[in-house]
Amino acid sequence: MTDVFIVKWIFALSPILTVLVLMIFRNWSGSRAGAAGWFVSLIIATLIFGAHPELIAYSQMKGVLLSLNVLYIIWAALFLYHVVNETGAIRAIGIGIQRFSGDKSIQILIFGWIFASFLQGVAGYGVPIAVVAPLLVALGFSPVVSVAVPAIGHSWSVTFGSMGASFQALMAVSGLESSYLAPWSATLLGIATFLCGIFAVYVYDGWKMVKHSLMAILIIGTVMAGTQYILSVSGMWTLGGFGASLAGLCSGLAVAKLKIYNQTPPSHAQPEMGLWWALTAYFILIVVVSSGVMIPSVKAFLGQVKLSFTFPEIISLKGWVTGAGKGKAINIFGHGGALLLYSSIISFCVYRSKGFYKPQAIKTILQKTVKSGVPTSLGIVSMVCFAMIMDHCQMIYILAEGVSKIFGSIYPLVAPWIGLLGAFMTGSNTNSNVVFGVLQQETAHLAGLSAALILAAQTTGGALGSMIAPAKILVGCSTVGLAGKEGPVLKTTLRYGLLITGIIGIITALVSFII
Amino acid sequence: MDNFFKKHDLKLKTIALIFMLVIPFFLYTAARHGSIFQVKLFLALMIGTMLLVLKKD
Repeated sequence: MTDVFIVKWIFALSPILTVLVLMIFRNWSGSRAGAAGWFVSLIIATLIFGAHPELIAYSQMKGVLLSLNVLYIIWAALFLYHVVNETGAIRAIGIGIQRFSGDKSIQILIFGWIFASFLQGVAGYGVPIAVVAPLLVALGFSPVVSVAVPAIGHSWSVTFGSMGASFQALMAVSGLESSYLAPWSATLLGIATFLCGIFAVYVYDGWKMVKHSLMAILIIGTVMAGTQYILSVSGMWTLGGFGASLAGLCSGLAVAKLKIYNQTPPSHAQPEMGLWWALTAYFILIVVVSSGVMIPSVKAFLGQVKLSFTFPEIISLKGWVTGAGKGKAINIFGHGGALLLYSSIISFCVYRSKGFYKPQAIKTILQKTVKSGVPTSLGIVSMVCFAMIMDHCQMIYILAEGVSKIFGSIYPLVAPWIGLLGAFMTGSNTNSNVVFGVLQQETAHLAGLSAALILAAQTTGGALGSMIAPAKILVGCSTVGLAGKEGPVLKTTLRYGLLITGIIGIITALVSFII
Repeated sequence: MDNFFKKHDLKLKTIALIFMLVIPFFLYTAARHGSIFQVKLFLALMIGTMLLVLKKD
């Protein structure tokens, strides 16, 4: 019976289905659901798809190498965020922005669209919603709007945010280079930039407010989408989200001075720390990452030590062959995570020398980093490892074959929805790319479509999924007294998340017909 | 037992993460040397680690 294609397809789907059901209907965390998915894939792969101990051993090693590439960035990004936040700099940046304009639409755009994206660029993992929502409540916005606006507003920057962790995951699982993946990813995410800005404002006060802020959205959106495109295609994708939102902040503060947005007097609140000092860590980050990526001698010097393993040809008991080759290499000192770590250490020393830390600050920073990093990492490792088992036993190929048979030439319309589903179920664009990246790549290959375009749609859908991921909405609601009342926020973000994803799907389909 | 897991939740998760990242290196070495017994042993350890992750938060 297991030779019937549809039965094999259902078995191949079962690990992903397990994760979906447990996270959505049983409210399990990503790490627990990932472990459950790992067990299901191990059992199904052994009983149905001819996995043997040696195959599992090699697949797990490949999984760990892929995971380490992503975890390196995640841990370093979290460390940098806590190094900065512990000084009170994030709060100081918020107050600094508030002093620029009293116009509600500009406040929504600067906080909910740009500053939330900036926080996504430097931290991610729910931080943008958790930090911005209380700031918006303090400015007089309703709690539901205060959570929904940053949730919608920051989504476009998720893939290249968090120092490009999600994009790194996409490259890792697909085995494709940034030069091939970045142009289409940055293009689709660039379109999403404008849509997120428009709907962030719309949530607050409908089309009237959108019309009022249209000029600001066009100017700032062009700056952010353009900067993200330039940075990502020039190899500096680790700075894609961060650089774009920083450029957006500058243009946003300039736009706030335009006469039409300067009718209401701004706030006169004084931060405890100067804005320039608050931003110092990020200036250091720009210098370090730019040097590590753009100066050939520095890049060559840092790239001398690489952790790499070779793998033999692996054949499953059912005859599925995985070719011999090298696993994902880890550039120990030149990796994006390493550059982040250097920036964090320099920033810590600078802030410490200026007396911005309380005693024992380093202990608090490390504790907070571990507390937020461990659960995320467990989810990523378990999901990557089960995705690798599936990949080595033909399960992903069978899934892709089934999807391409059903959807055929209209598959590009569906691609972003799969990314959205992945982010919704796992609470993360990175996890979505890990779970569905190879599936989308194989399906694109079987349907004769551009893998770069389909993977761009995957990661764009995954990024947009951040606005509807219950895990992130829960974090935001807990900071504005909406704990246990997440329904209205989720209903709002779901509406616009699905709408923007639908638009991205149509654009992907149109482009696939042209290229 | 439940109290122990609750009290040491973060520590246990951190240990599980370290095991999940380290065991595959042993699995790889054992597989490269063709030692099926060792591969099975480390796979059993990996299963044990995943069971720990599966434990309710």
